[in-house]
Amino acid sequence: MKLRIYRFDPDTDSRPRMQDFDVQPGPTDRMLLDLLMRVRQVDDSVSFRRSCREGVCGSDAMNINGRNGLACIQPLASLKEPVVLRPLPGFPVVRDLIVDMTQFFAHYHSVRPWLINDQPPPERERLQSPADREALDGLYECILCACCSGFCPSYWWNPDKFVGPAGLLQAYRFIADSRDTATAERLDFLDDVYRLYRCRTIMNCTEVCPKGLSPSHAIERIRRTMVERSS
Amino acid sequence: MRVFSGQRAWLLQRVSVLLVLVLLAVGGLRLLFWPAPSYEDWRSFASSAHGAVLIVLFFGAVALHAWVGARDVVLDYLQHRAVRFAVLLLVATMLVAVTLRVLFVLGGQIA
Repeated sequence: MKLRIYRFDPDTDSRPRMQDFDVQPGPTDRMLLDLLMRVRQVDDSVSFRRSCREGVCGSDAMNINGRNGLACIQPLASLKEPVVLRPLPGFPVVRDLIVDMTQFFAHYHSVRPWLINDQPPPERERLQSPADREALDGLYECILCACCSGFCPSYWWNPDKFVGPAGLLQAYRFIADSRDTATAERLDFLDDVYRLYRCRTIMNCTEVCPKGLSPSHAIERIRRTMVERSS
Repeated sequence: MRVFSGQRAWLLQRVSVLLVLVLLAVGGLRLLFWPAPSYEDWRSFASSAHGAVLIVLFFGAVALHAWVGARDVVLDYLQHRAVRFAVLLLVATMLVAVTLRVLFVLGGQIA
């Protein structure tokens, strides 16, 4: 199977280049990550992140044939040759397919992705009704792989100021949480020309999310919550 | 300016486009189902109080909508602060000039 892989080593290369590989999948190889591991046997300098190999950790997010995805859950049978692999677009490249996620996680932390509740904690746990709990479905499952933010033109244009779809999905996860008491502060923080309103509803995030989540829907719900609050 | 930031600008853009669409639809229906207005008809429409209000509303909504839209494009594509400021100033000047021109023409009609 033919692969074209983006190569860049800041220690030795002045410019990135594309390198071709021809690797035969083994009898049990089903996913792109399996093939990448075989590439490593040919050239162990090819660098990429991976960990759980089952679409849970989000480490092996990359641009596969022009579309962001997780190598570990991308079936080989679905890929057109040559399989062109690039790092996530819009992210600074550390080496080959490894990108610098510092800013991405800074945006994630900026939305305070934890439960804030100033009430005294109950003896056991803060209870929710089944309906309140259901409101979090489609929000808490995000694995922070950055496929969405890396496919969002608004994030490419203003990566330092726009929180991005992943961060905004997490923001709404806590805005929607019935146990959280910091909704007003969260909305005040997001009511900014850059943080939330750089989203132009392009919806690439929803299109590309490997977990089938919809950050654009969450962003719309944040906007609606803001309107409801101010009316 | 807080009024043009975040949610307010976003709402302003949507409300203004709704206003523009409604006025365009009403104007379109008028042209479609009634005889085409003559120059004198346009003059008397612009001279009337309700006509002047509708024209000011239309051009005001277009200007506000265009400002938010142009500002968004500038914020997305122009990263250099000086260039950004210059383009925003140019856009704002053009929109204010067009709006003032409309007011000026209407003032002449009413007077």
